[in-house]
Amino acid sequence: MSTRFTCDDTESLVAYLYDEADPVLRSTVERHLVECARCRDEVAALGGVRHALAQWTPVAPPLRFSVVQTPLPVAADFPAAQVIRPRVAAWQTVPVWAQVAAATLAVAVGAAVANVQVRHDAGGWTVSTGWMAPGSSASARPAVDESWRPALAALEQSLRGDLRAAAAATVVAPVTAPAGAVADRDLLPRVRALIEASERRQQQELALRLTQFNRDVDLQRRADLVRIDQGIGQLEGRTGAEVQRQRQMLDLIVRAGLRPPQ
Amino acid sequence: MLGLDITGLLAGHTGRRAHEEGATLAVHALTITDEELVVRSKDGDVESFNQLITRWERPIFALAYRTLGREEDARDVCQETFFRAHRALKGFKGEAKFSSWLYRIALNLCRDWMRRQRRTPTVQMPEDTDIAELAAAGGPVESIETLVARRELGRAAQRAMATLPDEQRTAIILKEYHGLTFQEIADMQGCPLSTVKTRLYQGLSVVRRQLEEGGMSVADIRGDAS
Repeated sequence: MSTRFTCDDTESLVAYLYDEADPVLRSTVERHLVECARCRDEVAALGGVRHALAQWTPVAPPLRFSVVQTPLPVAADFPAAQVIRPRVAAWQTVPVWAQVAAATLAVAVGAAVANVQVRHDAGGWTVSTGWMAPGSSASARPAVDESWRPALAALEQSLRGDLRAAAAATVVAPVTAPAGAVADRDLLPRVRALIEASERRQQQELALRLTQFNRDVDLQRRADLVRIDQGIGQLEGRTGAEVQRQRQMLDLIVRAGLRPPQ
Repeated sequence: MLGLDITGLLAGHTGRRAHEEGATLAVHALTITDEELVVRSKDGDVESFNQLITRWERPIFALAYRTLGREEDARDVCQETFFRAHRALKGFKGEAKFSSWLYRIALNLCRDWMRRQRRTPTVQMPEDTDIAELAAAGGPVESIETLVARRELGRAAQRAMATLPDEQRTAIILKEYHGLTFQEIADMQGCPLSTVKTRLYQGLSVVRRQLEEGGMSVADIRGDAS
């Protein structure tokens, strides 16, 4: 490397500009710059150009390419065929049936939280939501459940008693009536009474079945709520751990990014 | 009750240990060298090659973007670069750095793309300056005016670079944005060291002239913009 520097030695000037000149050349150029205003301006201008170039930053779209191994090998001496493609989010790899199951679970949780109730009575089907609605069934909390449980049991007992009495009256009546002793004009009221008694019995039977159904649904719902609550707790635990892990990874990446480039 | 407490302690201990192991693995993944990852990739370890992609996809994309000027083209070149690198990995002898090898593949693809398209680099940039984006990108002490000036300067530099011959532009990109040495650029471009310096000087001079024609006094740029 020459220790002399002249104004037209652009190669040495570039080496000096990019700090790749050896110490001897560097000191030579520095001495020259002290004396030569033209070269001093040149170095200053090229430094300005470099500074301007540094302001040009490329766009930064998400890339995240990755190799995806396909099942069929294409060569015996190398792993199976590879495809480079952008990475997809984790949820996109979940099968459709799992996504449907998750959506169903979310709807069930939402319905439980909103206390959605579907009832069928003489007025037809009724759908109601909210915890403050009158006559709302039991929530997952035991304190609320106990308030209506005795009343439900008493109603069930009452209905059972009525059914027994009605059945006894229905069975006894034909036996006590002597055949051929009843006049035709008395037959119609008796038939009507029998039909009314039958209707009452059916209504009571229906009420009893609905009460039992309501109780079974409530028990099932309480069990489901407990399971959902446990599931949510587990999910929250996993999510927290995952968030913690991601933060730590991000911290490491940021620290690695702060290192000077090679 | 005692059993529950013990279970809780054990669970906490296991969680901490797993956490520490995860952190250790992450640190290990960052400290492992490219050469080690290349060796593992050659043995068929796909994840090791994915780590190499994670390390180098951003620089390769930036190289392609500055060379071609279009985001979509740069993305395609970036993807094709890693695809070809993976296919040719067995032939990589490690005589050059893995990153230099990647750069060479990417530059060849850029050159082929430009030849195929018969195009010069495009200057693709947004018409409007997003003040919020600028404020988010700048440091806490920079004013909006300074940030706008920096953005304008960057755009002017991009326009000037698009006018350079391929060899000069590539030399400047490799030097300015990727920090390659003169020798590495010479190896990549297949030319003598002195040619690289000449290309750099000529390229910088053209950019200087372009900036000055745009009304910028390059000797004062550093003071104005920073």
